[in-house]
Amino acid sequence: MHEEKLKQFYERKLTAEAGGGEDKIDSQHSKGKLTARERINLLLDSNSFTELDKFVTHRSDDPELKKFYGDGLITGFGTVNGRQVFVYVYDFTVLGGSLGEMAGKKVSKVMSHAMKVGCPVIGILDSGGARIQEGVSSLDGYGDIFLKNALASGVVPQITASIGPCAGGAVYSPAMTDFVIMVENVGQMFVTGPEVVKQVLSQDVTFEELGGAKTHATKSGVAHFIAKDEIDCMDKIKTLLSYIPQNNREEPALATDNIDDFNRVDQKLVNILPENPYHPYDIKEIINKIVDEGRFFEIHELFAENIVVGFARMGGRSVGLIANQPLFLAGALDIHSSNKAARFIRFCDSFNIPIITLVDTPGYLPGADQEHNGIIRHGSKLLFAYCEATVPKITCIIGKAYGGAYIAMGSKNLGTDVNYAWPTAEIAVLGPEAAITIMHRKNLKNSPDAVEIKKNLAKEYRNKFANPYIAAERGTIDLVIDPMETRPMIINALNVLSSKKENRPWKKHGNINL
Amino acid sequence: MEIKSDDIKTIFHGEIVEFDKNNNLILRIDDKKYELKLINFTSNFLEFIFDNSFYEIRVLESTSTDLKILLNGNPLTLKKHSKLAEIIEKAAGRGGGGGGSSLNSISSQIPGRVISISINRGDSVKKGDNIVVLESMKMQVAIKSPRDGIIKELKVKEGQSISRNDVVAVLE
Amino acid sequence: MEIKSVSIFSDEDASSIHVKRSDETYHVGPASPSQSYLNMNKIIEIAISAGVDAIHPGYGFLSENETFAELCEKNNIIFIGPKSHAMELTGDKMKCKEIMKKAGVPTVPGSDGVVEDVEEAVEIATEAKYPILLKSAFGGGGRGIRLAKNEQELRQEFEMASAESRAAFGKSALFVEKFLEKIRHIEFQLIRDLSGNTRHLFERECSIQRRHQKLIEMSPSPVMTTEKRKEVGEIAKKAAIAVGYLNAGTAEFLCDPHGNFYFIEINSRLQVEHPVTELVTGTDLVKLQISVANEEELPFKQEDLRLNGCAIECRINAEDPLYEFAPSNGKVPYCNLPYGPGVRVDTYLYPGCTVSGFYDSLVAKLITWGSTFDESRRRMRNALDEFIIDGINTTIPLYKTIMNDSHFINGDLSTDYLDRFSIIDKMNSEIKNKFNDKTKILPGVAAVMLYSEYIKGNINNGSSTSAPPSTFSNAARKNLNNANTSNWKFGGVAY
Repeated sequence: MHEEKLKQFYERKLTAEAGGGEDKIDSQHSKGKLTARERINLLLDSNSFTELDKFVTHRSDDPELKKFYGDGLITGFGTVNGRQVFVYVYDFTVLGGSLGEMAGKKVSKVMSHAMKVGCPVIGILDSGGARIQEGVSSLDGYGDIFLKNALASGVVPQITASIGPCAGGAVYSPAMTDFVIMVENVGQMFVTGPEVVKQVLSQDVTFEELGGAKTHATKSGVAHFIAKDEIDCMDKIKTLLSYIPQNNREEPALATDNIDDFNRVDQKLVNILPENPYHPYDIKEIINKIVDEGRFFEIHELFAENIVVGFARMGGRSVGLIANQPLFLAGALDIHSSNKAARFIRFCDSFNIPIITLVDTPGYLPGADQEHNGIIRHGSKLLFAYCEATVPKITCIIGKAYGGAYIAMGSKNLGTDVNYAWPTAEIAVLGPEAAITIMHRKNLKNSPDAVEIKKNLAKEYRNKFANPYIAAERGTIDLVIDPMETRPMIINALNVLSSKKENRPWKKHGNINL
Repeated sequence: MEIKSDDIKTIFHGEIVEFDKNNNLILRIDDKKYELKLINFTSNFLEFIFDNSFYEIRVLESTSTDLKILLNGNPLTLKKHSKLAEIIEKAAGRGGGGGGSSLNSISSQIPGRVISISINRGDSVKKGDNIVVLESMKMQVAIKSPRDGIIKELKVKEGQSISRNDVVAVLE
Repeated sequence: MEIKSVSIFSDEDASSIHVKRSDETYHVGPASPSQSYLNMNKIIEIAISAGVDAIHPGYGFLSENETFAELCEKNNIIFIGPKSHAMELTGDKMKCKEIMKKAGVPTVPGSDGVVEDVEEAVEIATEAKYPILLKSAFGGGGRGIRLAKNEQELRQEFEMASAESRAAFGKSALFVEKFLEKIRHIEFQLIRDLSGNTRHLFERECSIQRRHQKLIEMSPSPVMTTEKRKEVGEIAKKAAIAVGYLNAGTAEFLCDPHGNFYFIEINSRLQVEHPVTELVTGTDLVKLQISVANEEELPFKQEDLRLNGCAIECRINAEDPLYEFAPSNGKVPYCNLPYGPGVRVDTYLYPGCTVSGFYDSLVAKLITWGSTFDESRRRMRNALDEFIIDGINTTIPLYKTIMNDSHFINGDLSTDYLDRFSIIDKMNSEIKNKFNDKTKILPGVAAVMLYSEYIKGNINNGSSTSAPPSTFSNAARKNLNNANTSNWKFGGVAY
């Protein structure tokens, strides 16, 4: 009796699942891109996806605008390696994946759900932009999404994957999410496209140069990761999720099958720093030795390379690592690195992930370029972020730590819980050369062999001030440790701090110098 | 689910039919039923008796599309979502845009530390010329240019430690 | 032997077996060899303060360094090996060649002296015709030997060969030798005591090599006859006497397809492959070394020695044979060493140990003995199957292929064995063919299906679960935390 109705239901279902039709799907495939449903299959565990708003269509009266079930967007929930997530995936085969009023509502709905139940949200972008035919309503759609992005920020993790174009105002949604992954040669994001740029400024740029994955991962820092293809993109999302909790009230899951001994000491760390403190070395070598099984998931790998940030596990706990990289700019702090680290700290703080900082920096990068572009403002963000964070904070000073940069890299007075230092740490207001030049300016000016004297004075300075003991005597460094015990010392601190509770005075929110 | 083996270019269709409290499963693969008894299962190690033979499986790598295992000590790679992977791989065949396709990048076959860099950006090199020298396990291994060309980009610095397959330089 | 043992270790080796087994152990320096195991002064310092009577230098590092031997002598520490002046002679391959020529020992054609710069090398190479070998005058163990097929290669290899030699031995001087083809590498184990008693303990064939590093050694050699063995054995003894040798050493020869033997060098140390000789002669060479150093006479006459059965050794290296032998290092969370009649494993591996990137890639020596070559070969084949080393790549698959290779079985060996019979390709196709039909892959397919369900959090560690997988019912979801703790490594992703 109800067979007719059932038949109708299946017909509509199949129509909805067909997206924009065979030829649109083939066109998508020929470009080497997958359809939205295929992407969902790749990302989520098999048979775990439940679709919502499958039969939503747009409400425009424009007769030219065909109605499609789903309205160019597929939303719903499913599991990724057993963890519940909500997803919204643009369907490029339907009206070019353009966003209309109803599609915007769909995304909004999914994000509200996610906030109510406390699950991460993953968005996959592949869209031509706003649906011009719907006029202002499509802009309403974007507005709704932006509001939800902002409300959900810091409540549930939001990850965006860019596997196709995204232009105009639409790019602000991913910018507000916590992590952006762009697929090389496929993902593109820019506010104004190359044609308009050519028209208005006569600048000739290609799509890739203007807003491709490479550009955003290295120059602008908009993209946190580059994936070499869609599959790699899904893999990266899965790895990322394994380090973060479901929502801001939970802690990341503890790894119970960790085989790396908590107490593992590593003799190699004793002599790992080069003899000459001015010689560069790769900080990632040290990181590899102290984290569980040497696994370090780096974020923003190609942006602001003078600082390294990423997730790792120590003693089975997920932690956020921040470390200066002496290979680039000698590990100095500058505008981009301050931004990179500050944002990362705030993410970790939002989601209960402890922060571990390794310090070896000669100071801030000098120069008119830095000053004019606001190193003062941007540098302050890093300090603000450390102070504001209430998650367990552990810092270990390995090498140089001079002046303001010493303070900025998680020093005790910023509220860090445990501060360690290696015997090779040099904590001082200024590096030896600079200090001597200032302190003995008069003597050196009049002296004939200034160079010799300067060298000797610098040596004296180094022996007297460039060590961790003065700070240790004042309790600013809690403990000078044997480098080979770095790992167990940090893990012990993490264990003790796991029940840390810290309050801040009530405020609507601070006024970090954006 | 669909599982593909590149070794014999076959696609298997498998599903779990039944699963009881004693870890006895009945699987259907390509329309035939098989019995399996689970003995041990941890995040990277399985032991089971399948079709009356004992198997030990070690999981080496698990991505969205690949599962690399050691089946009784022998390496085997099986693929999921093989059709999707094919679509993507077809596109990779086209030359890359600004990203630098694999044809232009010179990568390292081994992990190691860069102890010397033999070229500069803009240098023109011939096939077989040394690009960088790595040090690993007492050996010095040179990474050579696969073809004639001009160095567009140098991606590593002296003192940096790199992993296998990391790109060390890019040719025009 | 009731002698107390003292060992030294670098930062890398603090948890190594030798540290655990010796009576006393001392830290010698950081990981880098030049600051630890090659640091002569530090080593002597430790030796003196620990009050040792003798030092056994092993092989590699300082074992053939005459400066070190001298240093020991100066400090009244017995160096278990030849005297420093003998080492000087054997260490300088060119001088040694001259001495051998005078003693009537046949030698290999090549450059008459050390080649100082690359131009001279190019000149000699052009005359002798490529391919040529660039050898380090102070080398050994295959280090510092490079093959150059043309001038461009020669120039590049010259630089690198010098650097490598300096890194391994502290000095560099190269000489040029014509590369002979289809030759066999056959060496004789020698031992000589203070009284001048010289014995040889028969030959070892070490022809199967890669980049001039031995991979497989065995005794006896398939092409040796009793008469030839006697003849060349006597020549080997002559060589030892000519340099005034003391203690254990090896005389290496090249044997061409016509059965002519050419002396190449004397290795003035105990070699990696010495267990092969130990198994076929029933001797303990290290013990003999210690007694000779203790000024005892050799307890046997030449006629007392017998070559019994056949022994084969495979050098298990931490390299990936499927990927250009790329070095592989890191933690070894699990390993299973083979055992049984006629199976011997000399290794530093144990579950949980670490293979360091600072030292040689040799991680284990697998030696088998059988009453015939075939018995030894089958034992080796089975032992290789049982040998499990997790966490790093090893050359075990290569040896599995060789043990089944018909050319190997027929004794058709030469130093270019691997290339001649495309063994690497053979190994690759054998690995591929392991799974060349559906039934062999089925258990893998089952594993993929199970794993999929597992990562959804539906299968619980082998113990019985109350809920069926969610593939066909809305089962109660387990605690979300449990679901993803058990596979954090594979948050669905590769390393």
